[in-house]
Amino acid sequence: MLLIPCPFCGARSESEFIYGGPVRAARPDPNVVSDADWVDYLTVVPNPLGPVQEHWWHARGCGEWLTIWRDTRTHDIVEAPDEIE
Amino acid sequence: MRYDVTLQRCGLSAVFDLKGAADALRNWAGDMLPPLPDHPNTRTGGGGVELYHIGRKHWLARAPLAQEEVLEAQLKPDACPAEISIVRVSDTLSFFRITGPDASQVMAIACPLDLHETVFGADAVTYSELFGLKALVLRCEGGFECAVEQSFGDMVEDYLTLSCRQKPV
Amino acid sequence: MRLSSRLTTGGRINRDRPLRFRFNGKDYQGFDGDTLASALMANGVRVTARSFKYHRPRGIVGHGPEEPATLVQLEGEDAAGNCPATAVLLREGLSARSVNCWPSPGFDLGGVAQVLARFLPAGFYYKTFKWPGWHLFEPSIRKAAGLAPAPAQPPSSGHFEARRAHADVLIAGAGPAGLQAALEAGRAGKRVFLADEGSEAGGSLLNRTLSIGGRPALDWVANAVAELCGMENVTHLQNATVWAYREHNLLMVNERCPEQDSILERSWRVRAGEVVIATGASERAMVFGGNDRPGVMLAASVQAYVNRWGVAPGKRVALFTNNNSAYAVAADLAAAGLIVTAILDSRRHIPQAALDLVPDLPVHPATVAAGIFGHKRVRAVLAAPLSGDLAKWIRCDVLAHSGGWNPTVHLWSQSRSSLRYDEDLAAFLPDSAVQNCRAVGAAAGDLTLDRIVAGGADLPYAIEPLWRVDVPVQRGRAFLDIQNDVLVSDVHLALREGYANIEHVKRYTTGGMGVDQGKTGNINIIGTVAMQQGVPIEQIGTTTFRSPYTPVSFGAIAGLREGTVLLPYRHTPVTQWNVDNGAVMYEAGARWQRPGYFPKPGESLQEAVNRECRAVREAVGVYDGSPLGTFELKGRDVPRFLDFIYSNVMSSLKPGEGRYGLMLSDDGLILDDGVAFRLDDHRWLLSTSTGHADVVNQHMEKLLQTEFADWHAMITTVTSQWNNATICGPHARDVMQALGTDIDLSPQAFPFMSIRDGMVAGFPARVARVSFTGELSYEVNVAPRHLMALWNKVMEAGAPFAILPVGSESNHVLRVEKGFLSLGHEVDGTVDAYDLGMGWVMSKTKPDYLGKRAVMLRRAGGATRRELVGILPQDPNRQIPEGAPLTPAGCKEATEGLVTACVWSVVNQRWVGLALLENGHARQGETAHVRLQDEVIPVSITKPVFHDPDGTRLRS
Repeated sequence: MLLIPCPFCGARSESEFIYGGPVRAARPDPNVVSDADWVDYLTVVPNPLGPVQEHWWHARGCGEWLTIWRDTRTHDIVEAPDEIE
Repeated sequence: MRYDVTLQRCGLSAVFDLKGAADALRNWAGDMLPPLPDHPNTRTGGGGVELYHIGRKHWLARAPLAQEEVLEAQLKPDACPAEISIVRVSDTLSFFRITGPDASQVMAIACPLDLHETVFGADAVTYSELFGLKALVLRCEGGFECAVEQSFGDMVEDYLTLSCRQKPV
Repeated sequence: MRLSSRLTTGGRINRDRPLRFRFNGKDYQGFDGDTLASALMANGVRVTARSFKYHRPRGIVGHGPEEPATLVQLEGEDAAGNCPATAVLLREGLSARSVNCWPSPGFDLGGVAQVLARFLPAGFYYKTFKWPGWHLFEPSIRKAAGLAPAPAQPPSSGHFEARRAHADVLIAGAGPAGLQAALEAGRAGKRVFLADEGSEAGGSLLNRTLSIGGRPALDWVANAVAELCGMENVTHLQNATVWAYREHNLLMVNERCPEQDSILERSWRVRAGEVVIATGASERAMVFGGNDRPGVMLAASVQAYVNRWGVAPGKRVALFTNNNSAYAVAADLAAAGLIVTAILDSRRHIPQAALDLVPDLPVHPATVAAGIFGHKRVRAVLAAPLSGDLAKWIRCDVLAHSGGWNPTVHLWSQSRSSLRYDEDLAAFLPDSAVQNCRAVGAAAGDLTLDRIVAGGADLPYAIEPLWRVDVPVQRGRAFLDIQNDVLVSDVHLALREGYANIEHVKRYTTGGMGVDQGKTGNINIIGTVAMQQGVPIEQIGTTTFRSPYTPVSFGAIAGLREGTVLLPYRHTPVTQWNVDNGAVMYEAGARWQRPGYFPKPGESLQEAVNRECRAVREAVGVYDGSPLGTFELKGRDVPRFLDFIYSNVMSSLKPGEGRYGLMLSDDGLILDDGVAFRLDDHRWLLSTSTGHADVVNQHMEKLLQTEFADWHAMITTVTSQWNNATICGPHARDVMQALGTDIDLSPQAFPFMSIRDGMVAGFPARVARVSFTGELSYEVNVAPRHLMALWNKVMEAGAPFAILPVGSESNHVLRVEKGFLSLGHEVDGTVDAYDLGMGWVMSKTKPDYLGKRAVMLRRAGGATRRELVGILPQDPNRQIPEGAPLTPAGCKEATEGLVTACVWSVVNQRWVGLALLENGHARQGETAHVRLQDEVIPVSITKPVFHDPDGTRLRS
């Protein structure tokens, strides 16, 4: 059970959050991009051994969608969003 | 085990959901509301109305149910400008009060938050979990007040009854 | 009853409080302060168990959580299986039974397995339990080998509780190091959570006779406990095992029998700023022939029984050691009046300090134990000099052995912090921490009291490792893992068969996989592998330490979640009315309890459903549509947002109008179908399916917060602000009029797919003309506080038209007759709008919306599609199970589709169904075949609509 830093609420139990997957490349313009690139965009998801940037939704909290950098080897949160004051 | 607490399932409050930039909200409704809280997950009060800052650009205004029509007339949810959103949500929350010497023990069963007074002060209010459900949690006189989505009210009553082996009053 | 082995004085038991208990059907007596193990020992019960695989007689080996041999099943009030007898606190009326033997451990019919031992080598399970024959062996082996069954009954009284705690410092272990850490943190004003698995604080000091500053060490313990008790910022629990160290300093603590009424166990999830691991060390076994015989015990455990429980495990004790700690044991035993017949020490040079402790006892340097005489109890030990001189038998009734000490690094290692092998201690020690934690005391390798507490006096520790005895005269089997009956020869076999990695050796031999998790034996397995491979032990490493450190009952993990609160549930204001009116209730999506149908007395499900459906088709019905997901959206960018998330155009709606649409994910899957209404210029109302409300909310919030943060749109969930009674059927308008409303109900003023605010039956209402049944419908939304009153008025106003409440079973029939979609039935991850015959919903004019490119790309591939069709069983009275496969010509071939729904149609007086079928749209009028296991059912393919195909009724 991770302790996830929410910019609005501070560190909260993972149980309050819903995982939103790793942060992916920006959505390409579907009217311009090639079929192959479009399929890559849809299906190739970052899955590194080490820090990964990922989305979490503070669903049972303030409702914020936030991103953190989490090291997949240690669960260390190596970069957290700035706090709101 | 029977904890030394009083459980209370509360009736409705008047609750309005407020969203938008703080300035825009102040411009529209500043006169009707207490000052907006400065910090996340804190509250202010005045004129029988409490204001909870429970999310980024997100507040709840809460008052006794008797003030609902007056507040609605003042806040004018249907007429407010496009920049802000005001929605009456009084019915969406089921409130419970857990008070008494063992209130924090029962909360430790229900909620993952650190509710120690040094961490969760008198003006604290936040969304968290109650028995795994999204819930509003705040301090009240002698204990804690919690609110869950109304449809889960019976379930939470069930859970609280089991947690401290006694029925809410 | 004779307390044959109880010493007359000493021990931390209360001789004034005798307790009666039962073990394997016989009555015994012990004292308050006993464990089941110490009480059995006091009663002279020596054979307490039979082993897992070979059914060898076993006795009590240890005194704490390391106990590998004696597992018991508790009966009655606190029923539980596989508890080490050393961890069961005695209480009045306790009833326990040995696991894995019948009828008793003394006379066990399963003992015949010993004869078959050569058929049960390492890897036996992997070699036997494989296709195709495993199921032939599995039942009998499961019965013969194994542990306790799950208790047949839940505990007869009491319950479990799970709760959270938060601390600046969590300290695992209240031995000298843990107490010292707690005092320091407590005095500094930190919030301290101190948990210890034992029944009282003190750790190993309880078992020994040490001093601190010249006074008994237990005085120091008592003072420390008293000081902690006076600190409000300290939570100090005994009988509370820290059993798991999770991410970000979350630790799990299992507290047993807290002194509170009715709670059996309490599970704590503690989030700590810092963790102090003061878990001590545990003694490891020596590996030699016959080392599992009853009476072969860990040396420190023999010491504990004497000092802590006032029990003499035997009269004549021999010791076997490779380290200094056994000398302190020997001294204590001699002081208590036991005869120490020999100290066998595998070391050639024994430190003088150790010898000085036992000036009068016979010490045999460079000598090992090489065999045990005696079957159900020890009668003599074979002392074999390493010089090769003649081995001789030495009489004893207990052989106390010490293979050295392992710092208890389980929690350290669970935190993912690293270990290093220490040559001096011949043990794995904490190395570098990856979470905010530190190890102190014996857990950190400081194995003697003088290194932990100032003024503590203790014998210095020294060891020369001996991973197993290997002398030619050795007799009998040498066990590495006593609980799982793993022999030295099993490890050798595993290595020969190519399982060289220590994790593979573990799985293949099952060594260390028992309830005790190999606390006494794992290090010897590692040492044996190292010896066999001729490499240093640190190169072999340890197996992964996993939680739980000791067994935890499922009840403690579940906490309150049983019975009515096993799963969440949701009610609407009409739930009680439904129950009172005979509804059969069940969950129907997103945790909502809904009425399935309303049977009259004696009526079957089908009869009730037919009656409800006829009411809707011919007169009027009403159902509670409150669970539908409802969201209010506000902002200037809502129109373009909706155009992006729905496949059709929503922005063209005028205030008061609504439109049905499909929401796709960007990979082309159908996420939801629902209706968007425009309330005014900037306010919109979205109605989603019940089951997908949360997912849709997540989807919209993610887009608005992460992709389009500059778009101005705000979402408020109002599912429970607007509950509704949906009045549907040809007389729906009549009922609305009878209720009384200021809304003009004429089809011109209030057409299908529009929404109006007004008063209905005296309540402020928002009425939507949508239809999920195909009939004229008014969804009357009011605040939940008014729904029950509205409902009663609807029933009253509808009475002249014979209105009926309609359950979800009938809703299913009505929507299938109309060919309306149900996500999860007709829509799965393979289906797109074109397959459903809804190509019109995929906008041609919008250049981009979620899912468009993916759907187009997939269709451009040209693969055969499964398309939605109606099916009519050619025998109109033949029901087809939902989910049944369709195969070409009904042959035993790959399927070409499936039946998604099949219902008895009241308007057609026959069974009708929907199906997804390859090229289905082009095959209308043809025959397809449902293939069941022993039957083929021909069905005619039709359009997927069986009632009012032009929709005149729902628009009326």
